[in-house]
Formats: sequence, C-alpha cells, structure tokens
Amino acid sequence: MTLNLDPDELASCVQCGLCLPHCPTFRVSGDESMSPRGRIALMRSVEDGAPITEEVKRSFETCVQCRGCETACPSGVKFGHLMEKTREALAKAHEITPSWQRFALGALDHPGLLSAGSKALAVAQRVKIVPKRLGVPRIPLRSPAMESSAGSVAGDVYLFTGCVMDVWQRDVHRDVQYVLERAGFGVIPTTNASCCGALHTHAGLGDRSRKMARHVIETLDGAIPILVDSAGCGAAMKEYGSLLGTDEAKAFGSRVFDVAEWLVANPGTLEAPGVLDLRVAVQDPCHLRHVQRVHLATRDLLRPFVRELVELDDEGLCCGAGGSYSALEPELAGQIRDRKVAAIDRANPDVVASANPGCSMHLQAAGVKSVHPLSLLAQALRG
Amino acid sequence: MKIRRTTHPDALVSILKQALSPDRVRNDAAERSLFSNDASIFKGGASGPVCFPVSTAEVQAITRIALDHGRAIVPRGAGTGLSGGAIPLGEPIVVSTMKMNKILEVDLVHRIAWVEPGVVNLDLTKTLMPLGFHFAPDPSSQQSCTIGGNVANNSGGPHCLAYGVTSQHVVALDVVLPNGELVHLGGLDAEPEGYDLRGAYVGGEGTLGIATRIAVRLTPNPQAVQTLLLAFNSVEDAANTVSAVIASGIVPAAMEVMDQLITQAVENYVNAGYPTDAAAVLLAEVDGLSSGVAINAERIAAIGREHGAVSVRVASNDEERARLWKGRKTAFGAVAQIAPAYYLHDTVVPRSQLAGVLRRVYEIGAEYHLTIVNVFHAGDGNLHPLILFDPRENGVLERVHAAASDIVEVSLSVGGVLSGEHGIGIEKRDHMELMFSFDDLDHQRRLRSAFDPLCRSNPGKVLPSPHSCADIQSLSRIPEGVWG
Ligand SMILES: Cc1cc2nc3c(=O)[nH]c(=O)nc-3n(C[C@H](O)[C@H](O)[C@H](O)COP(=O)(O)OP(=O)(O)OC[C@H]3O[C@@H](n4cnc5c(N)ncnc54)[C@H](O)[C@@H]3O)c2cc1C
Ligand code: SF4
Ligand code: SF4
Repeated sequence: MTLNLDPDELASCVQCGLCLPHCPTFRVSGDESMSPRGRIALMRSVEDGAPITEEVKRSFETCVQCRGCETACPSGVKFGHLMEKTREALAKAHEITPSWQRFALGALDHPGLLSAGSKALAVAQRVKIVPKRLGVPRIPLRSPAMESSAGSVAGDVYLFTGCVMDVWQRDVHRDVQYVLERAGFGVIPTTNASCCGALHTHAGLGDRSRKMARHVIETLDGAIPILVDSAGCGAAMKEYGSLLGTDEAKAFGSRVFDVAEWLVANPGTLEAPGVLDLRVAVQDPCHLRHVQRVHLATRDLLRPFVRELVELDDEGLCCGAGGSYSALEPELAGQIRDRKVAAIDRANPDVVASANPGCSMHLQAAGVKSVHPLSLLAQALRG
Repeated sequence: MKIRRTTHPDALVSILKQALSPDRVRNDAAERSLFSNDASIFKGGASGPVCFPVSTAEVQAITRIALDHGRAIVPRGAGTGLSGGAIPLGEPIVVSTMKMNKILEVDLVHRIAWVEPGVVNLDLTKTLMPLGFHFAPDPSSQQSCTIGGNVANNSGGPHCLAYGVTSQHVVALDVVLPNGELVHLGGLDAEPEGYDLRGAYVGGEGTLGIATRIAVRLTPNPQAVQTLLLAFNSVEDAANTVSAVIASGIVPAAMEVMDQLITQAVENYVNAGYPTDAAAVLLAEVDGLSSGVAINAERIAAIGREHGAVSVRVASNDEERARLWKGRKTAFGAVAQIAPAYYLHDTVVPRSQLAGVLRRVYEIGAEYHLTIVNVFHAGDGNLHPLILFDPRENGVLERVHAAASDIVEVSLSVGGVLSGEHGIGIEKRDHMELMFSFDDLDHQRRLRSAFDPLCRSNPGKVLPSPHSCADIQSLSRIPEGVWG
C-alpha cells in the first residue's frame, strides 16, 4: 500500500541522527525502530513496497507525536505531517485505530455523550471505583456553565473551551477567564464550538478531524482573537491551515493564540497584591514548545508573580501524556514519565506549571503537584 | 574446530534469544533494515539478527555464538558515523550498544569515569558538569553519538584543538575479543606496563573487538571562556587568520570556519546573529584563567583585523555562546535547506596550505557542476567540504564520488592525510593505498590479526583487499590452535 507521502518531505531526512536524544520513545528504549530516523526509514520502505508488518505498525503506533524531533532537526524535516499522513493512510486501510478507539473518539465531538459519560465517571469516583493511577481529576458532579463577559473597552476574546477539558477541568477555564478579565478583556467562552479534532488527527482519522475543523472555523467566524489554554488544542487549531489547505483556514489559524502568548503580547492591566511564595518549575507541553514554539511566554508571564522560576534540565523532552497516548501505551508512557519525574525531582520545585491539562493529569497520577500556569497567576491576582 | 555454517537462521536467532532475552534479539525484516546503514551516504549493507546486550557477559555470549555459527559481528553505537563503519556487510550479527548506557563510576580522585559504551557523549558531559568536569572530545554529533563510537573512530570535535582527540581521553578499556575472550587494555596508572594496546585499540573502528567498559579522563571545566565571531570578505582571509593565530603561539580552545552558504543556512536555523553577508566566518574560543583569556581574545581580534576581518563580535554571555555553538554544531544538517543530500568529506591538510586547498576544492565543485560548501576545524587543518546534491538526479552519485576522490588527492598531494576524525570505514578503504605503502598496510593487517585472526569483527572495513579479509564467505575452517 502507499502512504501518500510527499517524496520531497520524505527526502529531507539525511539520517544524521541528531534527533535521536530528543525522541522520548528512543530515549527509553534505545530502539532505532522507536526513533524519528527509524520511523522515517520505515515510511520510505513502505513507500518502496515493503509490507505493513506488525513491527512496522508498532513503530508508527508507539510514536507519541510530540514532535520533539522537529525542533531538534536541523534539516527541517516535517515529522508531524509525515506521521499524520502515515496514520491516516493506515487508519483508512484499517491497519491501526481499532473501532473501539474510533467510538471513544466519537464521543469527543458529541457533547451529550461526553457529558453523560463524565457524569457516570464522577459518580464512579464518589463510590471510589476509579483507580487513582489513571490520573483522572475529580470531576465535579455539577458545574455551572461559564458566562460571557463580552463588551469590554480593551476588546473581546474567545476562550476556546474544547471537549474533555470543558467537562473535566472547567476550573482551569474559570481561572483563565478571571485573569483575562483582570487584564481588561471581555471573554466569550466558546461553548458551542466543541472539539478541535487534534486527537482524531493523531489517530489518523483525517476525514473526521477536517470536518471538526470546518465546524470550529464556522462557529468562530469573525475577527475576534481565539485564545486557547490547552497547548494540544492550540497547536491543532494553529495548523488548521495545513490540515484543510484553504486560505480561510490559514486566516483562522493566525487568529489563534495560546493564552500566555496573548497575555505577554497584550499585558493589559495585571497587578497582583504580592508574589506567590513558590518555587515553580515550568514543564513545557510538547505542542507548546515544539509545535507552537511559544513556550517562553509562560515564563515571561509568570516571572513577576512568583518567587522563583526554575527550568527542567531535560530540554523539553516529552512527559509521555500525548493526548490519548498514556491510555493506549501505558507502559511506554510510564517509562517516559519516569524520566520527567526525575528531572522534576532534580529541579526540586514546590509546584510544576504545565500549560496542557493532559500533561498535568499524567504527572499528577505520578504524584507530581502540577497546575496550569494561569491558575497560578489567578491565585496571585486574587492575593 | 569446524564452523557450523549450515545452521538455519532461525536456530541462530533462538540461541541468541536464549542467551539474551527474546525481546532483545530482533530478526524481522523491518528492524534489520534499520540497521543496514549509518549516517553516511553509502547504500546500506544487509544486517543479520540485531542484538541489544545489557552486559559484558552478554556481549561475550553473542560473540561466541557468532563464532560458532560462522557469522561475523558488527558493533554499533548511535549510527551517526559518516564513513560507513557500522554498515553490516554479509549479514553479520549487529551488536547495538544502545542498552549499555550506564555511567558506572565517577572517580574524582583519579579524575576518570568508567562508562558503558552506549553512553551518549553529551549525557556524560552533562553529568560531569556540576562536578566541575567534562569529557573533552565534542564531536558536532555529541548530543547523539556514543562513547563507544567515539573510541572506535577516535573522534574529534571543535575543542580537540586544545584538548586532543578521543585517544588522549581514554585511559583504559575492557574489550571483548572476537573469540569471546575479555581483555583489559591500558590502566589507571600514568604509565601502565607493557605495550600500549589501549592506544592501538582506539580508532580500531570495530575491527578489533567490542569495547564494553571504558575509562575516560575527566577534564576540569575552564575558569573563563570567551567566544569570538569574526567575519571576512574571503575564505582565504579567514584561513590566513587561523594560521597567524597559531603562529603567534596562542592555543585557542577551538577555531572553526564556515563559508557563506553554510553560514546562511545555519543562521536560518538558529538565529544566532551570524553575519550572512560575509564570505566566511571564524568562530574562535579561548579558555583558561580569566586574565589570560581576556588577553588572548584581544590578540585574536587584532590578528583577525590585520588579516582583513570586517567585524569582530565577542559573545557577551553563556546563552549567546551556546547559540553560536549550536549553529556550528548543526551546520551539516542545516545544509538540507540548500539541497536534499550531502556528502560530508573529511581530510586534513597542513595549516599553511589551507587557503590554497580550499581554492582547489571550490574549483573541483565547479568542474563537476556540484555545489560544495565548507565548514572546518580550521585550527588543525581538518577540512569538511560538503558536496551537495539531489539523489534523485540521474548519475549524480558518480559525479559526487569523483569530486570526493579529487579532493582526497589534492589533500594528499600537499602532505595531508585521509581522515581527520570520521574514520576510514568503507568510505576511504580504497584510498588507503594512496596514503600507505604495501608494507605499511601489511603491518596494519598484522595488528588487526593479532586481535581478530579470523576477521570476525566488522569485516570489510578500513583495510583494502588484499590486506583485508573481507571475503569471510571463503572461511570455513578456523586454523588449529588459533585460540590456544
Ligand atoms: C551531524 C554529524 C556531525 C558529526 N560531527 C563529527 C565531528 O565533529 N567529529 C567527529 O569526529 N565525528 C563527527 N561525526 C561522525 C560521528 O558522529 C562520530 O564518528 C561518532 O563517534 C560515531 O559514534 P556512534 O555512536 O554514532 O557510532 P556508530 O556510527 O554507530 O559506529 C561508528 C564505528 O564505531 C564502531 N563501534 C561503535 N561502538 C563500538 C564499541 N562499543 N566497540 C567497538 N566498536 C564500536 C562501529 O562498528 C563503527 O565502525 C558527525 C556525524 C554527524 C552525523
Ligand atoms: S529527522 Fe532530521 S535530525 Fe532526524 S535523522 Fe532525519 S535529518 Fe537528522
Ligand atoms: S514525534 Fe516524538 S515520539 Fe514521535 S518520533 Fe518525533 S520525537 Fe519521537
């Protein structure tokens, strides 16, 4: 079968191996087949007619799609795009992404289904039948809807609330809304835009993610900036241009900002009564650092409001959360997380700031105290 | 002793799996294909089963099984080699050291560290840094390549100008010989007894057995460092500056030159503020005690200006330094922005000949209608011309190889040598006769035979036939008494 990869994109890898240490799966396994270079080599051999064996699928399925290899690659290989196309071709041929996964992902763009499922989960948590190690946050049984504060003189912004995040971590959205309002902005929560489709793209369900992208674009029509507090969603939405290939999608992508990125560029009137007496380690979500490449903004935003900011010494290596990766590949995800936890221990912070709820949950499940940077900021502003 | 050549491959694999563990022996076609080449442009070979040992004992077991089944072995680190050293010829068992990656002991008293061969060069340095030390050899691939690979290729790096190449930083090793025996070479004493077999082993490119434990020297971190970036209107001016700096008696920690095209590509990737309008840039670093560093930096700047430097910039902090170095160290990869493939060459010429040889290199490029860009460890005359090409163009490889041969000839004709640091491997095997006489090569073969009488370890590399024993297929009997 063919993976429909662009030969030029494929040819841009020169096998130098400089990406190897930046790949989380290679780091924990030492296996060439679990490295960016190895995965590209296998894509090439499939394009040259090699069969799709279990080993080949394993190589592709174990990729976290963190894209750490992209920022590490001096040759500018577009690994994320290659892997998305590869997965799409394999999913179309029903080689990967079995139907139960497709069903589970289906829930994400059906708010009714998602909320029913989450209610069931919330109840299950109350009767203590959900194992802690799954890292699912305590889901509120009831959570009042978020309200719009549109009409500010400083200008209005959309706050993209997404799917799972909206149900499971509405508190983070509330903190973000609070900070934005303190900075002087009117905030419109995007309650009806639903899911960004990132997980579907990663699973190779391209047709569905394109449909969801079109829906998001239609719902959030206009010129109002769209702020996102989940790095994975933000990355996906910024890349709608390359996903759909239309000018409209490209224009949409340029209206999308990570909340910290936006606030650093548009600081407004943020003043806190004092600094938080905390040593904060910044954990860069991969899709903030390696895809959006705006991870420095998190630091610039937090610096004035906390006692101390510390860096992890692992150069932004993935934590293993990877959207649904930690559920699909728990063993590898755990090994990758062990490295991250060790780096956190070396930095010895009071708290870890992570701008992606998925990463936070994954780290919390290993006992790490991890919060959204905007929640820290909200705490500082509230005094 | 008769070699069992008839063993079915499946039987070999299951014996290997018993000796290691099932998940650390791979024999599927996909996995084997990934081990068929390294970072060089050579078309891959064909690998047999791939093994991932975790201990010296396992390496010994693999070696014995290989011997018993008439298979050769090829050690492999990160596969960043550029001369084809880790390319398997004739379906040998590939022994990956990637799971032998522990730093075993840091001994500050002797100023050495014992490491496993799969430890990544930069990981070692990062571990040592807080203790006030580092591992001096810093190949541009240091974030990925392994100490085992560094030892096998006697690798160098920008900072080897002042500190010396890998051989100067390896004090002792444990080596599994191709017959499965374990030997200790070198020692922690300043003057170990007997012949310096450690020195003979380093640079062996995997043909002298597999290093499984390596004692490396720790180098104290310098008190102060200054990095200068000088821009020139011609590559010759940069080359002449380098010669003049060395002639003045200064020993900089590093002196690296990049020409315009490569500087532009690098700048595009790292945004370090490299001047993209200069014909060449010189990155020079001085380190040592603070007072000396400042004086030497000023002297280098002055010598540069005398030789036509149009600008001199001194990095003002560690971040700026790091960014400049990141640019230099990713230069090879960055050329992908200019062409989809490159052939990175590696020769050494006397420093005084640098300017002339470079002129010839550009001419050779023009003769073959190929773009050649240059980046080099100028301080020791180590040239790295990169021949750029598009592999999809018909017949281009022949032109590339012809241009490469011409570059080798030019380098040798002015009294240079074949390889500065990337090794001979497959790449320069057949150029060895240009450099060495029949007798020289014969002595090298004898050295090799002393370690590996049956040519089991990485056959077909380094020595050209008839000195090599590449034709392992014809070997069906091990002569009596060889193993004693
Ligand atoms: C972008 C780039 C930049 C580079 N820059 C430099 C540079 O500045 N200086 C430089 O010197 N080189 C450089 N190189 C070349 C290469 O990185 C070095 O030769 C490096 O030492 C190879 O290490 P490796 O772990 O990748 O070894 P591999 O490529 O896996 O193997 C290299 C050789 O070592 C042998 N070997 C590996 N492990 C062992 C062992 N344990 N025992 C015995 N033999 C073993 C193999 O059989 C093979 O012959 C560069 C390469 C790239 C791609
Ligand atoms: S992806 Fe980039 S860094 Fe990795 S091997 Fe290919 S060219 Fe080198
Ligand atoms: S996307 Fe992440 S996991 Fe996948 S190959 Fe790149 S670095 Fe490795």
